[in-house]
Amino acid sequence: MNLFRPSAPQFAPAIALVWVGLPVGLSAQETTATAVDFLVFPPLEFRQPEAVQHRVEPGVEVFFLEDHSLPLVSLFARFRGGPSYFSREEHGATTAVPILLRSGGTVDLSPDSVDEILEFYAAQISFGGGGPSSFSSVNTLTRNLDEVLELWGSLLREPAFDPTRVEVWRGQQLDRVSRQSDIPGRLAISKFNNLLFGDHPVGWELRPEDLDPEDLASDVLHSVHRRIYCWGNLTLGVTGDVTWNDMGPKLEQMLDGWPPCESDLEPPPTPTFSVEPGVYVVQRELDQSTIIIGKPSDVRLADNESYYSALIGNSILGASGLTSRLARRVRTQEGLAYAVGTVWTTPTRSRGIIAATTQTRSESTVETIRLIAEALGEVAAAPPDDFEVRDAVDRIVNGFVFNFETPALIVSRQMLNLAQNLPLDWLQRFLAGVQSVTPAGVHDVFHRTLPLNGLDDMVILIVGDPAGFDPGLEDLGPVRFLEEEEAVPRP
Amino acid sequence: MTRYNRMTPRNRVTPRHNFGRPAFRWFVVLLMVTGRVGAWAEAGSSQVLTGAQLPVVEHELANGMRWLVLPRTGAPTVSFIVKFRVGAVNEVRGQTGIAHLLEHLLFKGTETLGTEDPTAERLLFVRMDALQDSILGLEARGDTTAVASLRERIDSLETEAGAHVLPNEFERVLSTNGGRGLNASTDWESTTYFVEMPSNRAELWFLLESDRMANPVFREFYTERDVVAEERRLRVETNPGGLLFEAHMAAAFTIHPYGQPVVGYMSDIQRLRRPDVEAYFRRYYGPRNAVVAVVGDVDADQILAWADEYFGDLPAGQIPEPVLSVEPAQTGERRVEVAFDAGPQVRIGWPVVETAHPDAPALTVLSWLLTGGPTSRLHRRLVTQDRVATAIYSTMGPGIQFPAIFTIEATPRLPNTTDDVEAAVYAELDSLRRTPPSEPELQRIRNQLEAGEIRQLTSNLGLALQLAGSASAFGDWRTTFGFTGRLAAVDPEDVRRVARRFFTREHRTVATVVRPDSVAGR
Repeated sequence: MNLFRPSAPQFAPAIALVWVGLPVGLSAQETTATAVDFLVFPPLEFRQPEAVQHRVEPGVEVFFLEDHSLPLVSLFARFRGGPSYFSREEHGATTAVPILLRSGGTVDLSPDSVDEILEFYAAQISFGGGGPSSFSSVNTLTRNLDEVLELWGSLLREPAFDPTRVEVWRGQQLDRVSRQSDIPGRLAISKFNNLLFGDHPVGWELRPEDLDPEDLASDVLHSVHRRIYCWGNLTLGVTGDVTWNDMGPKLEQMLDGWPPCESDLEPPPTPTFSVEPGVYVVQRELDQSTIIIGKPSDVRLADNESYYSALIGNSILGASGLTSRLARRVRTQEGLAYAVGTVWTTPTRSRGIIAATTQTRSESTVETIRLIAEALGEVAAAPPDDFEVRDAVDRIVNGFVFNFETPALIVSRQMLNLAQNLPLDWLQRFLAGVQSVTPAGVHDVFHRTLPLNGLDDMVILIVGDPAGFDPGLEDLGPVRFLEEEEAVPRP
Repeated sequence: MTRYNRMTPRNRVTPRHNFGRPAFRWFVVLLMVTGRVGAWAEAGSSQVLTGAQLPVVEHELANGMRWLVLPRTGAPTVSFIVKFRVGAVNEVRGQTGIAHLLEHLLFKGTETLGTEDPTAERLLFVRMDALQDSILGLEARGDTTAVASLRERIDSLETEAGAHVLPNEFERVLSTNGGRGLNASTDWESTTYFVEMPSNRAELWFLLESDRMANPVFREFYTERDVVAEERRLRVETNPGGLLFEAHMAAAFTIHPYGQPVVGYMSDIQRLRRPDVEAYFRRYYGPRNAVVAVVGDVDADQILAWADEYFGDLPAGQIPEPVLSVEPAQTGERRVEVAFDAGPQVRIGWPVVETAHPDAPALTVLSWLLTGGPTSRLHRRLVTQDRVATAIYSTMGPGIQFPAIFTIEATPRLPNTTDDVEAAVYAELDSLRRTPPSEPELQRIRNQLEAGEIRQLTSNLGLALQLAGSASAFGDWRTTFGFTGRLAAVDPEDVRRVARRFFTREHRTVATVVRPDSVAGR
């Protein structure tokens, strides 16, 4: 087997994942379930590739993983600083900047010229921003690397924010805002975030007043750009058909003269979560309700028992596809929904949320809420079964190799780990951590997080038509009706 | 948010370009000694095989089941695709959605997986199915008074049967063994099952997949039917884009089954019968109608040995009857509105040709030329210059085997209307009818097709899907790769010719989303 190129400074220990079973053949009398238990799998001997960490002038960290299987090179840039680091007054501009880096041209090239060059060289390029970060990536045929790299550097460093393209983006966003209610699921997520996070960047949605032309003026955009896209905020990643001897100098050339950061960005404030628990309804004449039930959570991403227990607990409750408790009850056994699941966010520095979400026909809205609440209450009241924990751990451990499926995956993950201040050996710690989870640990974290009846302390958001609910919402407590946004002025 | 299984993505196949991916051969060089195409290769071995020169190992079992194996080095994972050449075009009115419901039910386990007492289950199935037939009989006579109580009895029996069931055991076994992305999709012409496994556990897939092809049990039938009804509500009835698509297809295809929704009509879904699904399975899910593609870090000989061991004894089954319906020539513009409380959207479609037709490559190039990126004509004109739309796409579909429609879909930028978008689209098409595209425009497209062919090699799953798709639809895994050569040969005059031939007023079908009067007036 062609093992990975030994480009990492040190190899992590090989993973040997072995299914221990008896070496017997199958017979006609065996059931499939039995046969599964008797299958013997060879060990998965696999050296985990790691990107090499370099530092290039003027002091930018670069994760580099060579891979010559295809004549392609991928580059990734990750910047500290995103929409959540800026004030509400600058929210329009911070949202606009990543898109306009791609579409707004450079000091030397018009937007149309940029489009034509990128398409001529068939480069795939993306820009984005979210929460505390901004990022960009580009993928190119190796033979076009120099031209594409030069253009990518210009787009990142020397944007023109062409007014015509600013206006294109502004109109698109105004239109998007006006269509916010068109898709019930999108409306529900927006309203739920707004309820829980209130006037905090996580809960902000673009509003028409964020999109006034003066909020997107060239000096505002350049100011945001200067504060994020400086080299002190930058981490790079490179993978593909290139050696470091070739790539290092190219990156130094790209970074030559790149300005330092004028000042450190202030981290965003911690969300306060002042929402009152209870039932909130956005009334829409639909025959299917969208439901989100959730609350804040104190669990943080860290190398500790709470985090790993929450991860496994979430898998058992609602994040493992059809095999989760919620899917089994709401979908498989009752046929109440097509999609049901949970999300448990675990930021490193602030509180996150735990939430369950689904869609069900109007008349079964309350029945479905009660089923979900029952499942939430059960995990708060008692530890899961041993086999549930074992299955959740097995999913991660036996599928661990998929963390290394592509070089791009490896490089971008290491960049993210650095951004989150996770240790270099995070994956090994993670693997050991999930294997140490116990039913008691899962119970403990759920008990600290969720109410015993699954309803108290929870925010229950419904987008739907209460006239069709049978029974009605009365049993769930006081109901507050949320208004849809006022009609947005048409551009 | 969690991604859910058993879904058909948007319940339809609408790739931006439906004629396979490009297969320029500028990077084709040599077969490595191992016979493998490389992923994660050492420096100096950047020669790579693409397209029809991939070292795919082909094999056909005695029962007609076709196998395509592509060994690749790299991470020790493997992608499995099983594709049955049967889908919504094989359905009749009254039973629309049966292919899709069957896809869901094939995750319910088998005679010996997911059950503690299959015999007891079967006895309950008979009682439930008899009650369902009673419901259908009552409905046929217009007497619905007892329907609700009969349905309650079915639900009660299904709960009773559930006591014998280990729910979702098929997924549990695969996922706890490291399986990823277990899912399936149904489209008009095929039904596809897929999963990725750590390659050392490949044999587990053979065990489970062969068992469900041989011995599936359609347990939890009535609750799953309800799940599909919820899926339809989610994707279509509360989704303006879904409603628009369905209305557009129904208007454009009056005879051909491309006009029927894959998910099925609600009244059909709610009346599907378990015996009918079982019969459908027996008829169409034999190995003779299946193609399997295996791509990843595997040994081809071992894969084919397992193929014979696990699948060799399955009875061949039948090939679906050919679809003989032919959509009559359209003789005038058709327009249809979807009233929904949402912003305006428009779809404009023109009947064109099937994928194998000589005009298909020029139409594909035309699609790129119109909406294939920021420099494309319609994007540049409607989105960037005139700003009458926020987004615009074009597709050909919904399938590849029968004459399709070429659709342009756009979202007007308010306060512009769908009329404004239509006018701009027609003006651009008129321009193309008069003047062929420039050579630089086509060169940009060719360059992107070439790079796309390289990029598709980065994904085992993507390659497996293409191999199986091509073999299933055209009988040869190379065929869709071969489209690239046809695309490369398209010249500017070809594009003008198809623009003239197909894009006429009397042939178009236009569908729009409009707000109901009560909402628009508030």
